[in-house]
Amino acid sequence: MAVPPTRTGSARQRLHVLARAIAAIIGGYVVTALAVACLARLLPMRPAEASIAATLASFAIYAGIIVAIFWAKSMLRVCMGLGSALLLLGAALYLSILTGGRL
Amino acid sequence: MKESFRQSMAWLHTWTGLMFGWLLFAMFLTGTAAYFQQEISRWMRPELVANADPASATQAAINYLQARQSDAESWFITPPSARNPATEVFWQPKKVEGKPPTRRKRGETSAMLDGGGHPVTIRETRGGFFLYRFHFDLHYMPVIWARYLVGVAAMFMLVAILSGIVTHKKIFADFFMLRFGKGQRSWLDAHNVTAVFALPFYLIITYTGLVTLATQYMPWGVMANYASPETFFEELFPGRADVPRSGVAAPLVSVSPLMGIASRTWGGAAVGSIQVTNPGDSTAAITMTRSASTAIGARGESIVFAGPSGKLLDRHAQEGGALATQSVMVGIHAGRFADWALRWLYFLSGIGGTIMVGSGLVLWTVKRRAKLPDPMQPHFGFRLVERLNIAAIVGLPAGLATYFMANRLLPLAMADRAEWEINSLFLTWAGVLL
Repeated sequence: MAVPPTRTGSARQRLHVLARAIAAIIGGYVVTALAVACLARLLPMRPAEASIAATLASFAIYAGIIVAIFWAKSMLRVCMGLGSALLLLGAALYLSILTGGRL
Repeated sequence: MKESFRQSMAWLHTWTGLMFGWLLFAMFLTGTAAYFQQEISRWMRPELVANADPASATQAAINYLQARQSDAESWFITPPSARNPATEVFWQPKKVEGKPPTRRKRGETSAMLDGGGHPVTIRETRGGFFLYRFHFDLHYMPVIWARYLVGVAAMFMLVAILSGIVTHKKIFADFFMLRFGKGQRSWLDAHNVTAVFALPFYLIITYTGLVTLATQYMPWGVMANYASPETFFEELFPGRADVPRSGVAAPLVSVSPLMGIASRTWGGAAVGSIQVTNPGDSTAAITMTRSASTAIGARGESIVFAGPSGKLLDRHAQEGGALATQSVMVGIHAGRFADWALRWLYFLSGIGGTIMVGSGLVLWTVKRRAKLPDPMQPHFGFRLVERLNIAAIVGLPAGLATYFMANRLLPLAMADRAEWEINSLFLTWAGVLL
C-alpha cells in the first residue's frame, strides 16, 4: 500500500498538502454553492422543484470536486480549474439574475 | 499516473478517515441502535402495557386535551401503533401577546396516555429517542453547531468511501479472506470485509444522511430562487400559516370516522399523527398524516378536515419528481417503513459500518507502530490517536450499557432522572478515556 510517510514529510510537502486541503474544502464548497445556485435557476422545472433537485445533487458535485482536486497533477492546475469554474458559474449566475426570471 | 491517483486517494482516505473517525463511529453506533428506538424505548419504559385500539385511544386523548388544554394553539397526537403502545400527546400553549414564547420543560407540554386517555405514570427517561437524537444532534452543545459538525463528518465519510474504493482496490477479490491472528493483516481484512459487506449501504446511508439536513448545509439552491427560506417552505407546505381564532366556540367532531376516511384515501394505510389547530374554535382544523411505516417516502401524505363539521378541506397535492425523490431519500435513511426482516438488515449493515470505521481507526495505529523509530516509546501524536481510539471504540458501547443499566438502577423519584441516565452514559465514556 503506497501511503506517503507521515513524519518524514518535509515542511514544503506539508504546505503543499495544506494548500490542497484548503482548495478542496473551501474552494470546492464555493464552486459547489455556485453550481447549485445556477442549477436551481436554470433547470427547467418549477422553482421549488429545481431548488430541491439542485440541492440533492450538491453533495455528489462537492465530493467529485474534492476528489478531482487531490487527483490533479499540480497546484497550478487546481488553481486554474477552480478559477475558471468560479468565473464561468459566477457569470452564468450573474446573467441569470440580471435577466430576471425567478426570484 | 494511475499509481499516483491511487496514492493520492490512499492519503485522502487515511486522513479524512482519521479526522472524523471517532465522531463517525459514534454516529454509526447510535444511528444503528436508533433503528430499534421504539423497541429500546419500550424496554426502558416497562410500565407501559397493552395495545389499545388507535381510533378509540385517539378520541380518548382528544377528550383528555379538551379537558385540560382547551385554549392551546394546537394539539399533536400520535396514536398507539404496533411498535409503540402509548398514545403520545403534546401541545403548543396559547401565545401571550407581546411576550416571547418561554422555553418549557418537556413534561409541561406533553403527556403519555393509555388507551382510555389516562396519563400513565412511568419512569422519567428519554429512551431510544435519545440515541436517535444523539445520532445527529449530539449532546451538551447547541443543536445547530452539532448538526454542522455532523454534516462535515458525513461529507468526510463520503470522500473517505470514494477514496477508499480506490485505495483498497483489491477489496472485492479479498472479500473471502479473513485471516485471524495476523496483526495488521487481520485488521485490514476486517476493514475490507465489513466495507464490501454493505458498501452500497454505506454510500446510500451517508448520502441520504446529508440529504436529511441538505437545506441547512447547502442553502444556495433555495436562496437562488427565493428571497427567504420561509417563502420556500410556505410554497412547499401551504396552509400551515396561522389562522387566528374567530372566538366563536364550536365543539370538535368525533375523530374515529375521519381516521377511517383518511385511511381509506391512502389505500388502508394507518394514520401516523394528528394535529388539531385552534381546538374548540369554529376555525379548528384537523390534519392527519399517513404513518411513516407504510411507504418509503418520509413525507407522508396528509389530509385536512374542518374541526366542527368534519368536512374535507384539503389534501396534500401531488409532489413533483425532485420533492418525491427527496422524500424517498430521507425515508430510506430513517428506515421507518422497514418490516422486521429489513429492519434487522438495516441493523446488521449499521453494525458492519461501525466495525468498518472502528477497524479503520485501529489500522491507522497498527500500521504506524511498526514503522516507529522506537515502538516502545511512541511520540505524542501516536499516543493521542491510540488513546482516543480505545476511548471511542470501547467507551461508547460501555456507555450505552451504562445508559441501559441506569434506566433500571436510578431511583424512580430522582430529580432530573432522564438527564442523569444520559450523564451516566457520558461519565462512563469519559472514564474509559482516562
